[in-house]
Amino acid sequence: MRNKNSLGSSNWLENFFLTRGVSRNKLKQYIFVYVSILPIFCIYLVLRIFPIVSNFVYSFFRAEIGNPTAHFVGFQNFIDLFRDQLFLLSLKNTTIFALFVTFFSVIISLGVALLLSRKTKYGPFMETIYFLPVITPMVPVAVVWKWIYDPTYGLLNYILSFFNIDSVAWLVYPKTALIAIIIMSIWKVVGYNMIILLVGIRDIPEIYLEAAQIDGATRTQVLHRIIMPLLRPIMLFVFVISTINSYNVFTQVFIMTTGSQGAPAGAVRTLVYDIYENGFRYFKTGYAASEAIILFLIILALTVLQFRVSKEED
Amino acid sequence: MRKKLLVVLLVLVAVMMFAFANGQEENNKEELSVWTGYPEMEPFYQHVSEQFKETHPNVEITLVSHPLREFEQKLSATIPADTVGDIIEVSTYAVKKFVDAGMIPENPKDVVDFMTAPGRFSDFVLSNEHYGDKYFGLPQFLGRTALFYNKDMFKAAGIENPPTTFDEMYEDAKKLAKYDDNNKLTLSGHSLRLSGSGSGLGEKFWFVLFPMGGSILEEGATEGTYHAGYNNDAGFNAVRYYLDAVHKDNWDSPEIKHDAEAFELGLTAMFFRESWVIGDAAQKVPDLNYGTAFVPSAARWGRITNIENLYVTRASKNPELAWEFAKLCLSPENQTWMLDNIGWLPSRTDVDFSASIAKTPQLAAFIDSPEGYDEFGYIPISCFDELLTKFSERLSSAYLNAKLDTDDAALRKWLADAAKETNEILRKAEVFGE
Repeated sequence: MRNKNSLGSSNWLENFFLTRGVSRNKLKQYIFVYVSILPIFCIYLVLRIFPIVSNFVYSFFRAEIGNPTAHFVGFQNFIDLFRDQLFLLSLKNTTIFALFVTFFSVIISLGVALLLSRKTKYGPFMETIYFLPVITPMVPVAVVWKWIYDPTYGLLNYILSFFNIDSVAWLVYPKTALIAIIIMSIWKVVGYNMIILLVGIRDIPEIYLEAAQIDGATRTQVLHRIIMPLLRPIMLFVFVISTINSYNVFTQVFIMTTGSQGAPAGAVRTLVYDIYENGFRYFKTGYAASEAIILFLIILALTVLQFRVSKEED
Repeated sequence: MRKKLLVVLLVLVAVMMFAFANGQEENNKEELSVWTGYPEMEPFYQHVSEQFKETHPNVEITLVSHPLREFEQKLSATIPADTVGDIIEVSTYAVKKFVDAGMIPENPKDVVDFMTAPGRFSDFVLSNEHYGDKYFGLPQFLGRTALFYNKDMFKAAGIENPPTTFDEMYEDAKKLAKYDDNNKLTLSGHSLRLSGSGSGLGEKFWFVLFPMGGSILEEGATEGTYHAGYNNDAGFNAVRYYLDAVHKDNWDSPEIKHDAEAFELGLTAMFFRESWVIGDAAQKVPDLNYGTAFVPSAARWGRITNIENLYVTRASKNPELAWEFAKLCLSPENQTWMLDNIGWLPSRTDVDFSASIAKTPQLAAFIDSPEGYDEFGYIPISCFDELLTKFSERLSSAYLNAKLDTDDAALRKWLADAAKETNEILRKAEVFGE
C-alpha cells in the first residue's frame, strides 16, 4: 500500500512537470542538479544565511556574550547608535576612506590597465608585479607599512629626506593617519581592480578599435567613445566591489593602531573596527549587531544607487 | 580446519584482552586542562605539570594559551557553554561578570584556608579575591609597575639617584632629553604613553593620576557603585603633566619611539613598566646599564597592582584535582621559579625572594612594599575595560592638543566631557553612584 502511494505521488510529481512542458530527460537533469547543489546549499544556509538572520534578530536585543539573558529592546540599539559619538566618527571615517579608496583605486587601476593592455614583452611581468600586493596577506602588509610610516626609522621619511622634507609622524596625527591608511589600502587593491579592467579592455573586439583608427579617431576619442562605454559593466562591477570592500575595512586599521607606536584609534576608527570593539571587546553583541545592520544597509543602498546610475547612463 | 579455528579464536581472545587492558588504563587516566592568556607562562605550567605528574602519573595535562584579548573572547564563549578548561588564569576584573552570573564556582574551604593563612597574601590582594563573603580564585601572579631608568644617561646628565617625587622626575626628564641641530627631540627624558589604541594608554595615565590624588573611578555612596574619579584637580594636574611634557618643555613627543622598545634602543632615559621588561631587556640588550625605582610620589605614593588568578571552572570534571594543581602553582619553589624564569611577580608575601633579588637587583622595586606605598588596581566591574578604552581614546587626542596646555577652562571642560562619558557607561552597566 505504501509503495503504491509513493509510486502514486511520484507519478503525480512527474505529471505536474510533464504537463508544464518539462520533458522526462529535463526533469532528470533538474533533479540531478538540485541534489548536487543541496549539500553546498545546506552549508551556505548554516554558515551564511543563519548568522545573517541571527544578526538581524540580535540587533533588537540587549544581548551580551557571557550573559545568558537577552532583553528585547526594539529599536533602542539603533537610537543609541545615532547618539554614539564613536559610531558617528566611525561612519564619517569609513565614508571618507571608502570614497577616496574607491575613487583613486579605480582611476589608478584604469590607467595601469590601459597601459598594460598594449601587448608588450614585459606586459605579463608587470601584471604580476601589480598583482603581488593583492595576494599578500593583509596582516604582514599592514605591519610592513607601519614600519614604512615609522617617524624615526621609516622608509618613507628616509626617502622624503632626500627632498629636504622634514620627517612626518604619519600615524600619530589624526589628519595624516587616515591618509596613510588610505594610501596603503589603494596600493593593496590597485592590482585586483587592474586585472579585472584589463580583462574588460582586452575583451573589446579589435574590429571596433581598428574601425576607429581608420576613421582617424585620436587616442582620447577612442578612450571616450569606444573603450569607456564598452567597459561600463566592468567599471560598475569594480566600483561596487571596491565600495563594499572599502566599507568593510578592518585589518589594516586594527594593526596600525596596535601598540605604543600605533595610530590614535579615534583618528582612524572605522565601522568594522567599532563593531569588533563593541562585539568582541566589550561583548555587547546586540549593539554590535545593530551596527552591522547599518553597515549592511549603507552598502546595499550604495550598490543599488550605482546600478541605477549605470542603468540611466545606458 | 579445527587448528585454524583455534588460532582465530586465540587471536580474538588476545585482541579482546588487550582492548580490555587498554580500556582499564584509559579509565584510570584523568585529564586536566590549563588555559592562560599569557603565552609566556606556558613554560611555567609545563614545569608545574612535570612535578604534578610525579605524584599523579595517571593525569594528562593540556596547556592552552592565547594572546590576552583573544583569550578573553574565548572565555566569553566557552565559560557559559561549559566547554572551558579545568583551570583558567584570568585577571580579577575580567572574571567578575562570570562570577556575577554564577558561572564560576566559589573556592572550596581548604583553598580559602590556604589563602587566608596569616601573611600569605597582602591585604590588597586578598580584598580583590572575595565578593560578599565568598572567595573566588587563587592569586597566581601580579603585574606591578616601577620606574626603569638608564644609569649611564643619568650619570651623563649629572643626576645621582632616580627621582623620588614627580617634581624631581619632571626636572630630571628636562635634563635628560636630547635634541638635534633643528631642536627636534631625539631622546625623550621620560617616555610617556602618548598614542596607540586600547586601554593601555589610560592605564599608563593612571600611574600619574594616582600619585596626583585621583583615580579612574571612585567609589559611589552605595557599595558596588562608582563614578569618574579624574574630573578634579588631580585629573587636571595629571593631564597637564603630560601636556607640559609634550608642548611646554618638549621632553617627550608622540613623534619618537616609546615604551620598552625606546628604552632598549637607548631612545629614552626612563619609563614606567611592569617587571617583564627585565627579562625582555636581558634577552635583547644584556649590556644595558639600568636600574629600577619605586614610582615617585606627589600628593600620595602608590603603584598599580593587577592580579592574575587561577580559577577552577564548573566545567571541570575533577575540581579537587584541579585545585590541587592550582595550589602546586603557588608553592614557594614554583613562585620563585616563575620569578626567575618568566619575570612575572609572585603573589605570595610569605616566601623569601632575596636570592632572586640578589641575582637581579632590578626586581626589588617590584617586590618590596615599603610603608606608605599604596596599591591600586583594576575595578572588578564588567564595563571597566570599555570605559578605560574610551577614556584612552580621548587622552590620545588631548595629548596632541596644545591649546589644552595653556587654556585651563578648555582642559576643565575636556575633563568634564570625558567624565560624562565614563559615568554614562557606568550608568548603563547599572553601577553608577554619586
